Amino acid sequence: MPREIAFHGLYMPTMTLMFLIAAALAWALDRCLAGLDLYRFFWHPALLRLSLFVCLFGALALSVYR
Amino acid sequence: MTPLPAPLRWLHSLEWRRGFFDWARSDGVTWVYIFKVLLAAFLTLWLAMRLELPQPRTAMITVFIVMQPQSGQVFAKSFYRFLGTLAGSAVMVLLIALFAQNTELFLGALAIWVGICTAGATRNRNFRAYGFVLAGYTAAMVGLPALAHPDGAFMAAVWRVLEISLGILCSTLVSAAILPQTSSAAMRNALYQRFGVFALFVTDGLRGRSQRDEFENTNVRFIAEAVGLEGLRSVTVFEDPHMRRRNGRLSRLNSEFMSITTRFNALHQLLARLRADEADHVVAAIRPGLQDLAEVLDGFSGRALTSPDAARLVNLLSAYKNSLPAKVRSLRADFQETEPTEAEQLDFHTAYELLYRFVDDLHNYAQTHASLADHRHAREDWDQAYTPKTNWLACAAAGLRASFILIVLGSYWVATAWPSGATMTLIAAATVGLSAATPNPKRMAFQMACGTLIGALVGFVEMFFVFPLIDGFPLLCVMLAPVIIFGAFLASRPQYAGVGVGLLIFFSTGSVPDNLTVYNPYSFINDYIAMVIGMLVCAAAGAIILPPNSRWLWRRLEQDLREQVVYAISGKLKGLASSFESRTRDLLHQAYGLAAGQPQVQRDLLRWMFVVLEVGHAIIELRKEQAILPVHPAYAESQPWRQAIRVMGRSLVRLFLQPSASNLERGLIAVDHAISRVQATDEPFAPHFDTSALRRVKSYLHFIRTSLLDPQSPLAALKGATQGAMNAP
Repeated sequence: MPREIAFHGLYMPTMTLMFLIAAALAWALDRCLAGLDLYRFFWHPALLRLSLFVCLFGALALSVYR
Repeated sequence: MTPLPAPLRWLHSLEWRRGFFDWARSDGVTWVYIFKVLLAAFLTLWLAMRLELPQPRTAMITVFIVMQPQSGQVFAKSFYRFLGTLAGSAVMVLLIALFAQNTELFLGALAIWVGICTAGATRNRNFRAYGFVLAGYTAAMVGLPALAHPDGAFMAAVWRVLEISLGILCSTLVSAAILPQTSSAAMRNALYQRFGVFALFVTDGLRGRSQRDEFENTNVRFIAEAVGLEGLRSVTVFEDPHMRRRNGRLSRLNSEFMSITTRFNALHQLLARLRADEADHVVAAIRPGLQDLAEVLDGFSGRALTSPDAARLVNLLSAYKNSLPAKVRSLRADFQETEPTEAEQLDFHTAYELLYRFVDDLHNYAQTHASLADHRHAREDWDQAYTPKTNWLACAAAGLRASFILIVLGSYWVATAWPSGATMTLIAAATVGLSAATPNPKRMAFQMACGTLIGALVGFVEMFFVFPLIDGFPLLCVMLAPVIIFGAFLASRPQYAGVGVGLLIFFSTGSVPDNLTVYNPYSFINDYIAMVIGMLVCAAAGAIILPPNSRWLWRRLEQDLREQVVYAISGKLKGLASSFESRTRDLLHQAYGLAAGQPQVQRDLLRWMFVVLEVGHAIIELRKEQAILPVHPAYAESQPWRQAIRVMGRSLVRLFLQPSASNLERGLIAVDHAISRVQATDEPFAPHFDTSALRRVKSYLHFIRTSLLDPQSPLAALKGATQGAMNAP
């Protein structure tokens, strides 16, 4: 995968795109968890959401840099 | 030394613990918040420096701006800050593209844009307001420095968006993940406590123990809570999926709460009048029913209402509601034996009609509250949103003020070519935006100027005597920490919030080094002088140009409050009750805030609100009754009683638009006429209030009449004033 992408003449790292994709995925996952009322099984929902996002973003970023 | 006996030791440890928990709940929360601000600020600063962003301080300022004690507020503010920054940057790029060659046109366009955004901020008054503020001053912040070299404007905007995004990310992360104070917990707590207070208020009122002052204060408190809870609800949507699933029910709960307070106020007003008229046998006839309700509510007063409690309340209330019609009939039979007059009978019926409606609404409220325990519930389906109402004149005044300040300062800058003129103009744009949403912009701007002055003095010492001696990021943090702690502490105290915000933001603007530190005392001093002057000009403008906390605006808001009756008469019936309640309360809440320190004005506003709510609510009930009438000749549109009600509506519109003794008299005649027409109409159903529409209509008409005649209301003062004038020689 290319490490930089051009957006209307503005160069930005692919990571930015990955960040947005990860955010969208995390949002969808969050909606899903909330819809099934699964958050009541967790002690710290905010931390869970953050960790999920970090996992998703990390996995996507690794696919670029590995 | 002998050891303490065991119980004493136990007591000792208990005392210590209780003290500790008290501290943890009050001041402890503030200190956790300050610690979080510090952590988020340093994390952001480090990342911004590490990523070599051109202005790490912008990222750090973002942290100070968005950090709030509750994480939901941080999310909401961040969200709107991001949107506002995007909009502001886009507009700025457009303006630079259009007017780069011509400073005058650029400043003029910028002044108009900032004016529009400030007006928008005044209109919204919650975190959305903040998005408008930002859209305004981001344009100024990026545009004014870029004016000298327009080719860099686009990159400046991109960097700014990136810096702000970094600040937003770090602060939301810190506030949500580390020792979070959630808005949803605060909201649940407020909801649960509120019902306890209300139950106590109702039981006192039903037993006739409440005093006028206390009654008014509690009502003001309920209004503030209704407005505040709506704010919290809009914030928790960002924070908590659990609460988001319950969004409709929370909105409904608030609306139903407003409706039960109005109902209860109506009942209370009627009872108070009966007690004042010394109509003892009427009161005695009504009392047993009230006593039963008070006993039901006794178990819930003064304590938090949890969901299981609410379920219990639902059962008790439905039992009470079912037994009420039979009870009313037996009480009425007893009452008839005392041979009451026509008016007394009407009082009796109206009181029970109001009581029945109140219990019905209370039952609904309890059901909605109990439904919060479930993840899904039929009551979630609710489309009658809370509708805020703002006076457009107040918004226009704020917008005008902002444009004017920008034009004056911008002209001064162009005329004198002062190197720091750009700073002065952009700081004024920021201050006018930040202070526009507060009830007293003059005070806020002045406090910010004080904070900036402190920031300038501290910053000068740090910049020229401390920073040259230190090396590395950790030492920088150590040097910055005391200032940030002090600023965050001040910002968390409501009476010094402006000083704290000014200190934090403008200390960082001037005195936090970039990656490449520039030591330039001349421009440093010039810039700080420019900032303080910019803010003082804002404070002066806030005091001189159409100041919001003055007479003209109360008058306008009072008029708006009265016009709510017109809205109740002519608005579309669907969702009318809920939007009428919320608009009236929202207006009163604003006016009350603006009239702070003027108890007489506040009392007048509150009394107008009671009349407006009582009359408006009764009118809405009348309209609802008429909309669901069965098809029968007695209920036809052309019937005299329906015509009389329409005439009454018109006379009430006239009365509330132009309150005067003659209009009041006409209104009363119209109400009396409508009552007599209703009485003269025959009806095919039994004359009980649960079966007869006309009896209910008559009760509401009678209630409107008593509201207009209420000696406590401002309408009575109207009558008294003209009578006094007539009696005078």
